Amino acid sequence: MENFTALFGAQADPPPPPAALGFGSGKPPPPPPPPAGGGPSTAPPPTATSAPTGAEKSTAGGGPFYLMRELPGSTELTGSTNLITHYNLEQAYNKFCGKKVKEKLSNFLPDLPGMIDLPGSHDNSSLRSLIEKPPILGGSFNPITGTMLSGFRLHTGPLPEQCRLMHIQPPKKKNKHKHKQSRTQDPVPPETPSDSDHKKKKKKKEEDPERKRKKKEKKKKKNRHSPDHPGMGSSQASSSSSLR
Amino acid sequence: MTEKFDHLEEPLEKFVENIRQLGIIISNFQPSSQVGLSQKLNFVVMGLQNIDKCTQQLRDITVPLEVFEYIDQGWNPQLYTKECQERALAQNEQVKGKIDTLNFPKYFQKTW
Repeated sequence: MENFTALFGAQADPPPPPAALGFGSGKPPPPPPPPAGGGPSTAPPPTATSAPTGAEKSTAGGGPFYLMRELPGSTELTGSTNLITHYNLEQAYNKFCGKKVKEKLSNFLPDLPGMIDLPGSHDNSSLRSLIEKPPILGGSFNPITGTMLSGFRLHTGPLPEQCRLMHIQPPKKKNKHKHKQSRTQDPVPPETPSDSDHKKKKKKKEEDPERKRKKKEKKKKKNRHSPDHPGMGSSQASSSSSLR
Repeated sequence: MTEKFDHLEEPLEKFVENIRQLGIIISNFQPSSQVGLSQKLNFVVMGLQNIDKCTQQLRDITVPLEVFEYIDQGWNPQLYTKECQERALAQNEQVKGKIDTLNFPKYFQKTW
């Protein structure tokens, strides 16, 4: 008790008797027990358990200990709950995080013409520049009169090469469904010089029997020309034998 | 809420289409296309008037500035939404871990 008063300075008034604080008889309160190994399991001293009155709760010195306030009330919603399920955002989460979201802006706005995947800094068409330097607007939008339209008389002929690039759109990827339909309609065999791309070959499904036969033939040719083939001594011998 | 955006989407699409057609006329301008050019220019002005009217309904909507950075780089703005959700989930898990570690001694109390 003496150390306790020394920490917070000597008080002019003598401390009130224990009876005034509602602790019972006039005996001095016992010192708080030292914290044991199982600290939380020990019962707190009776002085700390006595609850102060409601009026004294909010003040700094209202409780039994100076600056000890009541803990904030427990709320039902804490960080331990899954807030996504709490706010019914599971569908939105699965939509954006479950599936793969395409990175390009043209996938978000497929109908917008022009090269929109390029950074805005190239064309000075960035939104950031619009916010930092907003254009000076007039009062309202007025239609262009006949005299003003005379200023829009252009020279005949195509645009110069510098301005032509703005009109070019990126090539649109063909859908797989259209690709399949074109296969069934065309009477031309699938292996044409135009279909020699390796990527297209990998994407095509192995359903046609013609493709299977041609693949087998290719494998046979490779095996004939390979040095590991048992019947072949040299490449010339192999070619002469194949001709026969 | 979505009706406001629908009301804005239509004039925007028409405006973009007008601009595209204007670009086609200008790319290979002929004397006979002067009338069409002046008509398209007036359509552009009318389109801007319609868009300006739609903005009055959308004054209470706020857009985070970080989305503009995504658009300026040519990226899909849905990636920003995805990143926000992932960050929220990560923070939620972090806070849950902290709460669980602070509540851990209570399990000892129950067993004792």
